Amino acid sequence: MRTLTRRSRQWRQIRIGLLFVSPWILGFGAFYLYPFLATLYYSFTTFTGVGNPKVIGFANYSALFHDHQFQTSLFNTFYYTVIEVPLSTVVAIGLALLLNMNVRGRAFYRTLFYIPSIVPVVASSLIFVWIFQPSFGVVNSLLSDVHLTGPAWFFSVAWSKPSFILLGLWGLGQPMVIYLAALQGVPREMYEVAALEGAGPVQRLRYVTLPMISPVILFNVIMSLVLSIQYFTQAQVIETPPGSPGTSTLFFVIYYYQQAFQDLHLGYASAMAFMLFILVLIITVVLLRSSSGWVYYENEQQ
Amino acid sequence: MGIARPQVRPDQRPPVLTRPPRARRTPRKMGASAAKHAVLIAVGAMFALPLVWMVLTSFKTAGQALTFPVVWWPHPFLWRNYPQVLSSLPFGRFFLNTFVYAVVTIVGVSISSSLVAYGFSRLRWRGRNALFYIMLTTLLLPFVCTLIPLFILYKHVGWIGGYLPLEVPTFFGSSVFSTFLLRQFFMTIPQSLSDAARLDGASEFYIYSRIVLPLAKPAMATVILFQFIYCWNDFLGPLIYISNTNRYPLSLGLDLILGDYTTNWSWVMAAASAATVPIVILFFLTQRTFIQGIALTGNK
Repeated sequence: MRTLTRRSRQWRQIRIGLLFVSPWILGFGAFYLYPFLATLYYSFTTFTGVGNPKVIGFANYSALFHDHQFQTSLFNTFYYTVIEVPLSTVVAIGLALLLNMNVRGRAFYRTLFYIPSIVPVVASSLIFVWIFQPSFGVVNSLLSDVHLTGPAWFFSVAWSKPSFILLGLWGLGQPMVIYLAALQGVPREMYEVAALEGAGPVQRLRYVTLPMISPVILFNVIMSLVLSIQYFTQAQVIETPPGSPGTSTLFFVIYYYQQAFQDLHLGYASAMAFMLFILVLIITVVLLRSSSGWVYYENEQQ
Repeated sequence: MGIARPQVRPDQRPPVLTRPPRARRTPRKMGASAAKHAVLIAVGAMFALPLVWMVLTSFKTAGQALTFPVVWWPHPFLWRNYPQVLSSLPFGRFFLNTFVYAVVTIVGVSISSSLVAYGFSRLRWRGRNALFYIMLTTLLLPFVCTLIPLFILYKHVGWIGGYLPLEVPTFFGSSVFSTFLLRQFFMTIPQSLSDAARLDGASEFYIYSRIVLPLAKPAMATVILFQFIYCWNDFLGPLIYISNTNRYPLSLGLDLILGDYTTNWSWVMAAASAATVPIVILFFLTQRTFIQGIALTGNK
């Protein structure tokens, strides 16, 4: 009798809980689960959006392996990600550490570093094309002041990707503020103890600060990885035609967008999408696996 | 006379309450402080330069923008670049479209994310954490993995060309970020408040709407603010679904400017400033809400 009422109470709680989260459950089914499974299905078909998809087995996938454009797009995305993610992590932590020290005008600098990340992305793209404009841009003008000849930046095969990396670094205010909040959460006593034991600034950073903020680092690194793998908007706005000069800014999603919405190769694009999913999955699992080695959770120790 | 306050002499105050004593200004300390400021000023200049240059260019004549080496100060100072560029395209419509898009999705996010966040934080039930983790993993799913079937679906129901594909999902908890932020905030509200209300026979919906939501006003403000900025900046969503220029949001309108006036950089920068300045002003008005909100998302 008692177990029965406990059970029915449990059921009641589950029902109420599900009722509250039901908007998300419906949304998850309609906007994530169904389209994800449909993408997987389309990836085994040829499909132009009209009529019915025709199943062709693994042909899209084997075509991907011979598609040079696809490989270029993977390489460009990889290039951007491998430089942008570590660099922005180091710079964001560095700036947060600077701001966390007792310096005058801290609020001013924090605001200054943060503002670029709320500038609308199309506006920031326009601004960067303009300041890096090869013949009239302010950056090349400043470089010529010190007798250097600036490159063509966004319009040079060699410099286009580094230019996008600079644009990415300009907008790192969001992770910086998250790191700053994490730094402010490190108990002061830990530094005092470390100092008493003779740890210098570098050792305090290495053995106190970084371990204490490591969960936040993991969070930020995963989020920025996922974002840079899907890099699109800035490259689409800045480069005409998108992907140029040459194929140096043909990022993965740029190529996907061309395949899906210009050439209407919906089956092929779906296969690309699924490959990207596998890639993100592998990267995330590797990161999470490795994280037990370098991420320190305070509560676990107790 | 009430309770006598213990008198604490300044030197006896518990250390947590005092600010750390100002370090004596030894030459070495001053050197270190100067080095810090030098780094901050240099980095600050790099962060400020693009925005300063945008604003300065926006007041120049088209010819003056194209001088090399550059001239810093606009001469003559042309205010009329702004009305000219803003009337060259239906920017009034673009602002209005963006605004409507923002308001509708703010309503959607506020309702659905707060309900879902409540279910994921204030109620205890079996399966809650499993579902919550599933929700978090959707953050990692690249948007291209769902885009094509959704596009075809929206085409079937006749939503392509309008904002419904971008608005409707927000009523179904599509903003995982907002849900997560609200959940983090709801967890900080003492559970005893809900327990007391339950003992009084209050329904769960009553507790949600009359007790928890009023206490969560700061978090709701953050969610609304972020959603507004998200819509203001959103380029990809409208790019995929909106084709008629009259229905363009600001972001797509700005993109048009670059295509149309590549030779007139003063106009391009005036348009970029017109899109940027309102959001920067909004940031200054709401800075506290902003910074706290971002810090909250970094928690765990």
